[in-house]
Amino acid sequence: MKKIIAICATLLVLTLPAFAAGPKKMPDASYKKVSELVALPDFLPGMGTLYVNPSTLPVGPFLAYDRKGTLVSTIYMVPLSDMEKHTAFTGLATGSNQVKKVDITFNAGHPGVESPHYHVTLWHVNPESAMVK
Amino acid sequence: MAGGLWLASLTLGRFCLSAEDEDVVEISMRSTEDGSIVTFDPIGLLVRPGQRIRWVNDGNNVHTATAYHPKNDNHALRIPAAAVPWDSGYLVNPGDSFEVRLTVEGIYDYYCIPHEMSGMVGRIIVSTSRDYNQASLKPYPDSPGVEEWSPLPDAALRNFPPIPAILERGRIGGSNR
Repeated sequence: MKKIIAICATLLVLTLPAFAAGPKKMPDASYKKVSELVALPDFLPGMGTLYVNPSTLPVGPFLAYDRKGTLVSTIYMVPLSDMEKHTAFTGLATGSNQVKKVDITFNAGHPGVESPHYHVTLWHVNPESAMVK
Repeated sequence: MAGGLWLASLTLGRFCLSAEDEDVVEISMRSTEDGSIVTFDPIGLLVRPGQRIRWVNDGNNVHTATAYHPKNDNHALRIPAAAVPWDSGYLVNPGDSFEVRLTVEGIYDYYCIPHEMSGMVGRIIVSTSRDYNQASLKPYPDSPGVEEWSPLPDAALRNFPPIPAILERGRIGGSNR
């Protein structure tokens, strides 16, 4: 009995880092690397490497992977103009159903979403542990 | 060259200092790290005809320096009619830069493509005189006046520094207005 408990404890310890690190699954083929669609760098400090299904632009979801290839967040980019028109965005996909924290931040615009908008970021890992600097 | 505009090639990285570089006026393309605040700095500039002007990306964002001209996606004409328009294209990396030499006297309004709607615009006055009443310094109307030309976003119109202020001070910072 003690042996079984020890084996289970060992297996649990070995798998804990995987649970803590967040999902690593890469997006399906419908998602394209954002840097291959618009004039943005491969890696965006603070966010990571972004993938998006072009048919979902501008809102997304954008799937963000850190330097270790971990899916760290799902980002929705909501134009202010749509907010002012009270546009509804419903049934949006998410990269993971594990959400640790949410950030809502203003962005003045960038290639791909060239108007003022908000980033709604669902963090799938603790943001402090995400290697996105 | 027609219009008196000499267009330098797009350059990447930092320049090495040379006697020619001493004659260049730099305009920084600035952004906070989170992309919430963007500006050209200086946002208003008075230069002499023939002055070289170089826009440099500070690296926190992606920018362009694009003249208000119908050739640039049907934007309104807000540079001297005899001047040749420019568009830097997207400057992506820290230190990416773009240079022009403006020789036709007058007011040159320009914008950043991804940030025009957030008010990232700038104004350069090319003049040998600080006399506000000269014909070449007649202000542009807010409304484009031509149906095919895109109207300027309100944020852009609000952000142009006043012509008298540029003539008086010579340089207006984008971060301290």
